[in-house]
Amino acid sequence: MIDDEAHIRRVIELKLKNRGYAVVTASNGEEGLYLIHRERPDVVISDIMMPRLDGKTLCEVTDDLKKDRSFLTIIMTCRISPEEHEWVDGMQETLFMEKPFSPARLVRSIDEYFHAQEK
Amino acid sequence: MKDLGLFTQFLSSLSRISQIHFEIWNHEGMSFSSSSRKPTGKLSEELRELSGRVLSHPTVGGGVQQTRRGLLGVPLRNGGETVASLIAVDPSLWRSSEPMSAPPWKKPGDLKAFLKGIATLLEDRWLSLKEMEKMAEELSQQLEDIYLYSRLSTEIKTLRFSHSMLEELNQKLQELMHTDLAFAKLPDRTEYNALAVRSTISEKLPDPKCFVDTLIRAIPQTASSLKESYFVVNDSRDIPGFSRFHPDPFRFLAVMIRHEEAFYGWLGLLSFNLKEIFRRSELRLLISVAEQVAVVISNTDLYRDLEQFVINVVKSLVYAIEAKDEYTRGHSERVSHYCMEMAERLDLDEDQKRDLQWASILHDVGKIGIPEAILNKAGKLESEEYAIIKEHPRKGYHILRPLDQLAGSLPGILHHHERYDGLGYPSGLKGEEIPLNARIIAIADTFDAIHSSRAYRPAGSREQALAIVREAAGIQLDPYLVEVFFQVVSRDPTEEKHGQGT
Repeated sequence: MIDDEAHIRRVIELKLKNRGYAVVTASNGEEGLYLIHRERPDVVISDIMMPRLDGKTLCEVTDDLKKDRSFLTIIMTCRISPEEHEWVDGMQETLFMEKPFSPARLVRSIDEYFHAQEK
Repeated sequence: MKDLGLFTQFLSSLSRISQIHFEIWNHEGMSFSSSSRKPTGKLSEELRELSGRVLSHPTVGGGVQQTRRGLLGVPLRNGGETVASLIAVDPSLWRSSEPMSAPPWKKPGDLKAFLKGIATLLEDRWLSLKEMEKMAEELSQQLEDIYLYSRLSTEIKTLRFSHSMLEELNQKLQELMHTDLAFAKLPDRTEYNALAVRSTISEKLPDPKCFVDTLIRAIPQTASSLKESYFVVNDSRDIPGFSRFHPDPFRFLAVMIRHEEAFYGWLGLLSFNLKEIFRRSELRLLISVAEQVAVVISNTDLYRDLEQFVINVVKSLVYAIEAKDEYTRGHSERVSHYCMEMAERLDLDEDQKRDLQWASILHDVGKIGIPEAILNKAGKLESEEYAIIKEHPRKGYHILRPLDQLAGSLPGILHHHERYDGLGYPSGLKGEEIPLNARIIAIADTFDAIHSSRAYRPAGSREQALAIVREAAGIQLDPYLVEVFFQVVSRDPTEEKHGQGT
């Protein structure tokens, strides 16, 4: 879970932990990139606008990793423009979630992802 | 007991450097021991006894109890509840029933203070964890509210009030607020009433509309919350009279749609899921949505008033023009009436209807530039005079062209004298080349012209006029639209009002 806003990190961390997921958090893209390499998560949730390394670049940089090991990337953003739609189509297993977001919906889409993976 | 993991690690390492053994006992028995060796049977019994005492009488001994030398226990509390006991044991007791030497602590008071301190720390930690979790939960709830609001606000940004706007709004309310039903009820504008019902409750609620009506009628006028524009029931069994409306308990929230002094109706939610209640934030959200709906309704009313005013002004203008020609008085308004009836049959959209309305009222506005002598001439027109009359569509077009708002109406005015066979004027357009509005106006215009008297002939009867329209289908007039026109006049009650002398 990568977001520079502490309260968002905290809420998502709690929600996911209560669902039984293990969560690690980072407050910027660089830290997030390090964690992705170290922890090898199944799902990466990242804000788009962050200091140091923004969510889009992070996603592009980690896209290659998905060749060996698949994981889902959820990018949170305020407005989804047509260019961004085009961009996300070029990424593997990446989806957008619009901010303001619903924590319950975020958890549900992660549940659904794991459910689909099990099948 | 959560979060004991780190704490027990801490106790284990403390035990290694201090030689003191620590155990944690809860109501079920021992849950942690810093020693890997089992205590002797007698010591084990003593530990159990001490733990039992601490758990059942946590305040005895100022919070620290000692059953014998080298054996102390403190209660561990979580949120006011004693969940476990922390016990410190002199390690020599492990080896024999009697301590061989002095315990590792010099004064028992020091150990007591230490044990109490550690219990307090743990208690604080549990408390702050709980607080944090609560805060995160509240924050999460607020994020849900913001999400809800951001999704709903796009629905009410629309300027013009419409039924579909309310339909969509209710759909969103029902889904986003996790209820079984959302409704908008406007007693004076029933055509706008909207209802969104979760499909899974159709069996429970075969007639949701009627149910909502009953509930709204049952809202007590004296309810104090009405001063703040809402009424809420979180369990129908709590309110006298409400439980008889449905065998299953339900919760119900209704907020007033009102703006300044005007009351328009109710916006509300209903759910049979009583595990949740209507939260304060949901109530606030619904109130503000209802306020915005009221503003949209009020704006739409103002807009409509203004539009009607402009139409009336234009009608007066048209009357003034028609006054020049005593034979065509009321003609434009009648033509407009038939056109709008046809528009209804043709299911034109609001913009198309508006353009047609203006075009039909103003179709003869160009006659303003035609001398009265020609308009009112009793005999047959000379060809130059007829040429002047034929100028009126183009004149009307030029008069109105500067008005941007009428841009959509101009084609209907310019071409209302075109003929389906291409022999009309001013452009000689043919068939579908003629704008739809112009083809509609041509039919109504033809019918009303024949049905009214002219300077050069008396009024034809309704039957004669209809017969002529019928004959002109496919030649002068669009045959399909003529059919539509006949459907309109066959059930037109206003025909009686159309006197022969006009």
